[in-house]
Amino acid sequence: MSTPAHRVTPGRVLRSEWHKLWTLRSTWITLLTASALTLGIGLLMGATYTTGGGDGDVDTVLLVLIGIQFAQIALAVLGILVTAGEYSTGMIRASLTAVPRRLPVLWSKAAVFGAVTFTLTLVTAFVTFLTAQLFLSGTDQAASLGDPDVVRALTGSAAALTLLGLIALGLGALLRSVPGTVGAFVGGVMILPEVLAMLPYDIVGDAVEYFPSKSVEALVSAQAVPGAASPGAALLALVLWAAASLTAAALLLKRRDV
Amino acid sequence: MTRSVRPFQKESGSLTAFPYVSRKAMPASGSWSAASLSSFALAHSSARTGRITQSIRRYSPVPAPEPSDFGVVPGYYSPRPAPAHGRTMRLRPLRSVEFMTRPKGIEAVGLTKRYGDRTVVDNLTFTVRPGAVTGFLGPNGAGKSTTLRMLLGLDAPTRGHATVGGRAYAAHTAPLHEVGALLEARSVHPGRTAHHHLMALAHTHGIPRSRVTHVLGLAGLTDVAHRRVKGFSLGMGQRVGIAAALLGDPATVVLDEPVNGLDPEGVLWIRTLLKSLAAEGRTVLVSSHLMSEMALTADHLVVIGRGRLLADTTVADFVRDSAQGVVKVVTPEAGLLSELLTAPGVDITSPAPGTLEVRGTDGEHIGRTAAAHSIPLFELAPRTASLEQAFMDLTRDAVEYQATPLEGAAA
Repeated sequence: MSTPAHRVTPGRVLRSEWHKLWTLRSTWITLLTASALTLGIGLLMGATYTTGGGDGDVDTVLLVLIGIQFAQIALAVLGILVTAGEYSTGMIRASLTAVPRRLPVLWSKAAVFGAVTFTLTLVTAFVTFLTAQLFLSGTDQAASLGDPDVVRALTGSAAALTLLGLIALGLGALLRSVPGTVGAFVGGVMILPEVLAMLPYDIVGDAVEYFPSKSVEALVSAQAVPGAASPGAALLALVLWAAASLTAAALLLKRRDV
Repeated sequence: MTRSVRPFQKESGSLTAFPYVSRKAMPASGSWSAASLSSFALAHSSARTGRITQSIRRYSPVPAPEPSDFGVVPGYYSPRPAPAHGRTMRLRPLRSVEFMTRPKGIEAVGLTKRYGDRTVVDNLTFTVRPGAVTGFLGPNGAGKSTTLRMLLGLDAPTRGHATVGGRAYAAHTAPLHEVGALLEARSVHPGRTAHHHLMALAHTHGIPRSRVTHVLGLAGLTDVAHRRVKGFSLGMGQRVGIAAALLGDPATVVLDEPVNGLDPEGVLWIRTLLKSLAAEGRTVLVSSHLMSEMALTADHLVVIGRGRLLADTTVADFVRDSAQGVVKVVTPEAGLLSELLTAPGVDITSPAPGTLEVRGTDGEHIGRTAAAHSIPLFELAPRTASLEQAFMDLTRDAVEYQATPLEGAAA
């Protein structure tokens, strides 16, 4: 007999995850929070900046995008809600009954979250940079999109936030608890590297530069940060972190009971 | 009290027992002519004016859908157009003939699940056949939910395997068409509306929006479809789960404790729904810890306790067996009477001095035996066990969480 017309296809699982993402208020809240924090803090930095105020050595893109320090938490929470949120609510049983092969659900979640987050953070980065520069013209932080590496750093910020969010999404699928994963993310991804960097061992210091939070910094700077990884290496490091997180999540998703 | 475990039986001709086998005779999909469609509709509408359809109409908690809802949706057709005599709340089919001709039913073979050294499901073998409602009974903690989760591929069995429709659940290309399942009541994100919850599931199979509206209406949720599930009562949450189970027009329906939290009207609705689903030739497996509920709904029973199969029988057999009951006898010569009554299949206990409880024989035999030996009887009271009592007798040794009397309550 022919296969039924209504069967599961990867495109349909993607469509389902897209639908799931946009039908929860938490998605809108976290995305708007992330955008508002980036833009608001960027404008504040631009409006209050004075030449010679002691921030002249700060990278121009990093200065206006300093808000992503906070935005990344909102985006990580969204990534965690996408996966761990389904376990907390029991929705995962419905999801995996509809798609019992399981892995397409994880890949679709990652793809939908990645696409949405990258688009939003990219637009936010450019808008923040351009509006902040309205205030910064005439100061020593005046810059334009034509300046070397500015577009690269702005695009890098979107890539960095997206990959950071994907790490959180994978962690959420691993730990299957929203509060637990938020704690693990803040502790393990944001605080741990700072603690490790204080250790008096060079090798630890070098390794920490490739940890997610440090890689984000290197990616968002237009000028090379002394001692930090190159933008290319930082991007690669983040991609590997995200890949590791998602791979571990996939392996356990396939094996574990729901 | 043990019952024979029925082995898996292949019933080659069993499909002909179901009303929808006539679909076999329908032309291959895509070649529908107006004439064949209408003649088919005629045949079916006359076949469906049965009692069940009428009772669904009567007890249905929601208004029936407009007949225009039965129209052809691109990509497939509705083989059961609206009957001319009126509206029904029958679950409309979503797809074509083929699922009725495929092998169906549930088969569990040596299903075992261990968590550490705790065996939750122990070498469970049973078959659930299409066309009947099968009650899956057991006390709390008997392993019912774990078994159902293994059927649906959510939990991996430690040993053994289970097939649904002839294949492992995960091997189906359209699992929601194969099995519609209600697991624990809350398998829903509370922040989503009922409509969006069902849409999210529907998208995975390319099921259209009209179908979501249809099953929401069937479950009586039309008015609250666009409210977030967060505010739903237990019973409404249960209805969302049942709507989701019916979404894919499944050949097999698996419901875990569906009447939990439902009001009397909802309970009645579930009973009628389950019977009509079975009458359509679907496989229906319903778990419950309430024997009385199952006696009203189910045709067949699979009873488990502590993860083991205790009985695989029909409800009729179960009722007949349990009707034998117990005869209470009060006599000063309990010891003598007990000796006289002892025979194969007769079970005698003495709950108090001078009192006997006799199983396996009837009051007449006891009375005549006593008379023949001039034993005075102060009391001869046959007590017919209720179904609930029979179920409790069957599962007594297998109850995981037994209530103990309160200290002092006896004093």
